[in-house]
Amino acid sequence: MAATLCAKLLPKQGWLPLTQSVRHGSKAVTRHRKPVHFLKQKLLAVTQYIPPTRVIPPGAFPSDSSRAPTKESDLVLLMRKDLQKVFQDCRMLAVVQNNASNAEDMLLLKNRLHKHNIFIKFFPNQVVRSFLQDGIYSNMTPLFFGPTVLIVCKEPKVKEMLKTLRSSPQMTLMGACIDNTLLSPQGVLSYSKLPSVSVIQGELVSGLTMLTSHTASMLQQHPAHLSALLQQYVKQQSPDGAAEDAPPKAEEAT
Amino acid sequence: MMSFIKTAVGGLTGICRVHGHQQGLLHSHLKILAAGLKTYEIPPDYRDVVLPEKPKLKFMKKVPNFKKARKEMKKLRDIQGPAKTGTDFTTGEYAIVALGGGYLHWGHMEMMRLTINRKMDPRTTFARWRINSPFKPVTRKSLGHRMGGGKGAIDHYVTPIKYGRLIVEVGGKVELGEIQHILTEVAKKMPFPAKVMSRESLAVMQQKQADMEQNNQNPWTFKEIAWGNMMGMRRVLSPFDLNNHGRFKGKFHFPGRV
Repeated sequence: MAATLCAKLLPKQGWLPLTQSVRHGSKAVTRHRKPVHFLKQKLLAVTQYIPPTRVIPPGAFPSDSSRAPTKESDLVLLMRKDLQKVFQDCRMLAVVQNNASNAEDMLLLKNRLHKHNIFIKFFPNQVVRSFLQDGIYSNMTPLFFGPTVLIVCKEPKVKEMLKTLRSSPQMTLMGACIDNTLLSPQGVLSYSKLPSVSVIQGELVSGLTMLTSHTASMLQQHPAHLSALLQQYVKQQSPDGAAEDAPPKAEEAT
Repeated sequence: MMSFIKTAVGGLTGICRVHGHQQGLLHSHLKILAAGLKTYEIPPDYRDVVLPEKPKLKFMKKVPNFKKARKEMKKLRDIQGPAKTGTDFTTGEYAIVALGGGYLHWGHMEMMRLTINRKMDPRTTFARWRINSPFKPVTRKSLGHRMGGGKGAIDHYVTPIKYGRLIVEVGGKVELGEIQHILTEVAKKMPFPAKVMSRESLAVMQQKQADMEQNNQNPWTFKEIAWGNMMGMRRVLSPFDLNNHGRFKGKFHFPGRV
């Protein structure tokens, strides 16, 4: 037993390792260029030297005077006219960034927006910037960066627009101009939570009519009750009547 | 007296007439020479040039006199990357500059020595070695020998050369045009790309490289990506690349990189 244990514990004398690592690594060849690793080739291509752009000498042909007046093309003028019309007509102008949504998604979104009479407009950023440069909407210029689209509507249908945009995650709302007020995405969200104008008007009217009806009903009651109430009011207004504040108020409330 | 004058005048008119007759013929061969002054270039001033005692290239030893010749490993590091020493001029004006790494044998040096010594004018020109005689042993197995049985015997010695190293310097009372053909002939036969350069052109080359590094418009530089290990790029880069920023691959130099 002891002999077998010793034999197991002690290293064998004539023992060779079962696996030997053979190095097939780099060969020391300098005669030719070894192929460069693909990633390193990419890195070398990315980090190539880029010379600074050559400055045009002042006297060079063509001269500055002939080069300067670059006339804008008719297409640009037309698009700017369209844009102007859009800005005049529409009360809601939302700027949305289009993050690689394909044609199918765009078509679906267009359809869904069209149900609410909302339209998607595409304008080149350069045209938009040149239009916004000199106008009251010049604060909107930083919104037009990258692939942007305009979602326009003649009525401020913010709730419907947000509902539709929620289903297409590629479209990110950058900001909106609603009734000539520039709103951030949070602002648009809180705007959508507001009730409509008719509801507000109804509330206001009902509040006003309630006061008058209250007064009328009070006048129709017995005059003794009215005089008691008035006496109570006078007592409250006088400085010594402060101690007896609580019970009449409770009475009044009832 | 009057008759003499008359004859003289008559003779003159006769000559004139003859001249007049031949005028058309003369005009066809007439060259109109414009008078002017030519401004010659001022020849270079060689007053402060001192020629050494022995202007020619010295003979180089084929084998170094070590007490005990040792077989070495390949050590390819000694031809990789740019040279640290021997990149500037000392006494001469023109030189052969290595634009890549490689090994020079004794045979190359003999070729250089014989060509330059034979063709240059030793009264106006001098040449100097900027490299050491061969010191690195290279072993070979003898011909028809079977593989195995250990490392072979030392066959010859070489001198390792790196990029940017000056090999031979030439100076004296000469201009580049006088000796360029000799040096280019030699430079073509080097085992690496080599070029003939003067003090000015070498300075221009170094300045150009520094300017390129200064004015690079590429925001992505090899140095930042390699040192920052962007996207795990160190996996495919060697420590050699960290210092050389992708300008070298082994002994090869990539021109036009920063």
